[in-house]
Amino acid sequence: MDAADLELRNATYARFIALGRAPSAAEMGAYAGMPPDALRDAWRRLHGDILMANPFSAVRTPFRVDAAGRSWFANCAWDAFGIGSALHVDSTIHTACADCHEPLDIQVRDGLPADRSLVFHVLVPASSWWNDIGFT
Amino acid sequence: MLLFRSEAHVENWLKGRTGGATIPVTKLAELSDAWWSTRLAPDWRPRAAGEGQSILDRLGLTGEFWNFG
Repeated sequence: MDAADLELRNATYARFIALGRAPSAAEMGAYAGMPPDALRDAWRRLHGDILMANPFSAVRTPFRVDAAGRSWFANCAWDAFGIGSALHVDSTIHTACADCHEPLDIQVRDGLPADRSLVFHVLVPASSWWNDIGFT
Repeated sequence: MLLFRSEAHVENWLKGRTGGATIPVTKLAELSDAWWSTRLAPDWRPRAAGEGQSILDRLGLTGEFWNFG
């Protein structure tokens, strides 16, 4: 990742937060002063980093997070807690128990969940997380 | 990477399959904060090799399962 790509990566994240959603190539190109084709090329180089714009997801997922006056989607439970951390605000995570599907509305204040009885399960060992990050 | 109401729900969900690792939601909150709190910093840089492992180690997430390899 060279300096220009890094600057675009950070600017893309900033626009994601400002808009509350993933910016389009046209919006980001106008913001960054780049022709859309050049912007798309740069995004392709950054593909691994900004496809999901972790911890934020550009698509609907089973992990909705209310934070900073907006609703966001996270890619997984780890990322759901990460949205409040990245924004440095309290949050509420709306998801469900993966087993019984009972809704879970988890208030996170000062970094800690109000319901501390819940558990987090990781099925795949760390050495294999990026073999298929979608499955992980 | 999923949330469950309790360890009993994890066992029920696994239906006899071999599981991975289960940690309290409070530890997950700590992990997420350590992992993501600098993500939107204007001077963010990609993590250096080994930095992710150091975060897990610092939180006591050690052993073969938590080793990035």
